[in-house]
Amino acid sequence: MELSRRTFLKNTALVTSAFIVGFYLPVKANAAEDTKETNTLKPNAFIQIDADNTITFFMGQAEMGQGTYTALAMCIADELDAHWEAVHFKASGIDPVYNSVFGPWMLTAGSTSISTKQLEMRQVGAAVNLMLKKAAAARWNTDLSNIKTHNAELMNLKTGDKFTYGDLVADIKTMSIPQDPELKALKDCSLIGKPTRRHPSEAWAKVTGQAEYGVDVRMENLKYAAVLHPAVFGAKIVSFDASKALKRNGIIKIKQIPNGISVIAEHWFQAKEALNYIDVVWDKGEFAKISTKDIRKEYDALLHTPGASMRRDGDTAKAFKEAHSIISADYEFPFLAHAPMEPLNCTVHHTGDSAKMWTGGQVQTVYQKVCADILGLKPEAVEYNNTFLGGGFGRRAAANADYINDAVYTAKDEAWPIMTLWTREDDIRMGNYRPMYKNKARVALNKHGDITAFEAKVVGQPVVKDTILGFLFKDGVDWAQWDGLTDHPYSIANHDMQAHSPSSPIPVLWWRSVGHTQTAPLVEGIVDEAAYKAGVDPIAYRISMLEDLRCIKLLEDVAKISDWKNRKKEKNIGYGVALVKSFGSIVAQVAKVKVSKNDFKVLKVWCSVDCGFAINPLNIENQMISGINFGLAPTKYSEITIKNGEAEQNNFYDYLVTRISDAPDIQVSIVNSGDKIGGIGETAVPPIFPAVANAIFDATGKRYHSLPIKIS
Amino acid sequence: MTTKLKIDGTTYDVTVDEETPLLWVLREYLNLTGTKYGCGVAQCGACTVLLDGKAVRSCATNLKEIGDKEIMTIANKTDPLLKKVQEAWVEEDVPQCGYCQSGQIMNATGLLKANHNPSEKEIVAGMNGNICRCGTYNRIKNAIKKINAGA
Repeated sequence: MELSRRTFLKNTALVTSAFIVGFYLPVKANAAEDTKETNTLKPNAFIQIDADNTITFFMGQAEMGQGTYTALAMCIADELDAHWEAVHFKASGIDPVYNSVFGPWMLTAGSTSISTKQLEMRQVGAAVNLMLKKAAAARWNTDLSNIKTHNAELMNLKTGDKFTYGDLVADIKTMSIPQDPELKALKDCSLIGKPTRRHPSEAWAKVTGQAEYGVDVRMENLKYAAVLHPAVFGAKIVSFDASKALKRNGIIKIKQIPNGISVIAEHWFQAKEALNYIDVVWDKGEFAKISTKDIRKEYDALLHTPGASMRRDGDTAKAFKEAHSIISADYEFPFLAHAPMEPLNCTVHHTGDSAKMWTGGQVQTVYQKVCADILGLKPEAVEYNNTFLGGGFGRRAAANADYINDAVYTAKDEAWPIMTLWTREDDIRMGNYRPMYKNKARVALNKHGDITAFEAKVVGQPVVKDTILGFLFKDGVDWAQWDGLTDHPYSIANHDMQAHSPSSPIPVLWWRSVGHTQTAPLVEGIVDEAAYKAGVDPIAYRISMLEDLRCIKLLEDVAKISDWKNRKKEKNIGYGVALVKSFGSIVAQVAKVKVSKNDFKVLKVWCSVDCGFAINPLNIENQMISGINFGLAPTKYSEITIKNGEAEQNNFYDYLVTRISDAPDIQVSIVNSGDKIGGIGETAVPPIFPAVANAIFDATGKRYHSLPIKIS
Repeated sequence: MTTKLKIDGTTYDVTVDEETPLLWVLREYLNLTGTKYGCGVAQCGACTVLLDGKAVRSCATNLKEIGDKEIMTIANKTDPLLKKVQEAWVEEDVPQCGYCQSGQIMNATGLLKANHNPSEKEIVAGMNGNICRCGTYNRIKNAIKKINAGA
């Protein structure tokens, strides 16, 4: 990585009279491979101050909508006393200093950007602020206590003299960076903790069409490529005839790449249209015989055999034998595409012994290495440029790097920079889905209605196994199988939870909130059933089984804002509650749903969230709204089904997602418990599935265990 | 063949097959990348532009259908109503990933040009063809309600 850092510093140093600063504050978790010195200061680049007082923050985390640029910039700017409206952002290059908490690569995932980076960003800002004060104190020959900073200016309180930060760039260039700068008390912060709109530079770029996404990258001589992919998962090309396609306007070259046939053209629409004129002989393989009903049959069989143990404690057999009543339920959740609004794309320019690439990625270091490996280069010979992401939801951290592979193989040994852009149909049909699951749950209740035992079985393809997060696959069990299930918050004495990991040629991937998409509807569904069986109010029932005071307080909060106790019994209207701890935060939701003959509509969602401390309360409200509307899609509509080895869905006309007519009123309440800061981007998704299903039960008396819910 | 296009007050001559959808002419021949590709089949609204003030899906509008109609895109800097919509979007903190917002804003502008004071029901009906995977719909509704299109 040394070379890349030098390249990076050289590039940023092209701006003369600039000061660049950074820290290396190593994170603890899973940093074994990263043997860099600990707690040492290492100049790098988070902040750049130019002599004209332009201040630029370099962002290692990807901005895919979740508000990370703004929130992290708030942390730096507040401590630095920068002029908020005037700061600039730039996506950083690749450097270990930006690595994620998960391992030695840059990764924006797991709702970790703020929880793991906010302190470091505050320290970076505070350190530079102190250096500037020291420099000013030396110039004015006065005490540090006589200097005040505000809006990127320093003021001598005795004389009224002023410097801009830019005036002192030369002074602080040679200064050593303070290791342990004092941070502001929260009450003195002007940005941290205050509801703050998306930074104006980002917001205005996005409302005027100026924001650059991967698909907007333009450069001299740029060519475009579309790829003909196999329709059947795992199918192989036997032979193809592209002669008709080659004769079409604008077509430059057609070549086979590992995952299909790439058509390079002057313009993308020409390339896309030419795909229809390629004749291919496919070896469809065994999977061409498989449809969803076959997968269902296979999973059903697995449900009746012992799986890998996820959690086993107490004596469930005894508890079920002695049970006063038993509730059991079967769940089915389909494959789901992420369908971010920006179709997947990557631009690559291979120039012999080096290359450049442009894309909006959640896992920059890995994509750089994928590119380098395919081109036979060292990673540092590949210049990686991250753009804004037109949605991520996990899809832009593709473990198999499918769309990146297509782009790199397409551009390999070619003379031009080439943008390889997938169609929406590619995005919907090419896999990397949230896995399909078939689950089973059973709880034993004693005569008081308390749950005495909890059995569960999860059948679904593993997500993290054989990926960079493979360390989260342990003892034959995948993180996406147990997260939210084995660590549910309720006090239950006996558990037996198992998982099966079937395989198929359909690639699967983490999908916003990952395992919680299948564990939340199970846990919060069966606990709700137990509450009704026990004849106890569903919120009171949950509270009676909780020890975690934050969870209890949050349920009380959501009961209060929804006026739960005074909810009216109206025909066809139901209320459902759910509580989910995920990514270090807790979210409780109450959904109000209206059910008609074959349909339902979510009218309102009350949402209480405790993420420890809300750095940007406005963005947290936005992310709760986002998660709820995102989660409503698979609650009501979205599913990928398989027929003869192919996905049956193609585009937004048959892979349905939430539209504005589906969006409920949403009221958000933020509870600042003061606990450790947790994640936000994914946390509103999991509770909406069970909250809605539970509300439908309240309205109709009928339990819907599987998603999407089809009222019958 | 060469086609004349009037876009945001500028006239362009483009030499392109007239079956080509306007979206790709904007994005690749003129490098006006603010108008986005989302689905290619008029299902998501990311590509929305105004043709003589009416919202259309540029991915499903061929060049030959345009004739001498004026095209307004998200890059327009002079239309006062578009400016109001953009300001309301920033004020209400609408954009998240932002990718669909060019289309949302153009569609809202078209809606407000036809109906200065839409009811909530009319807003929902008018905006239902525009998908936002970040789910910013609640903010979009608030933003449109705040715009005084008649003034």
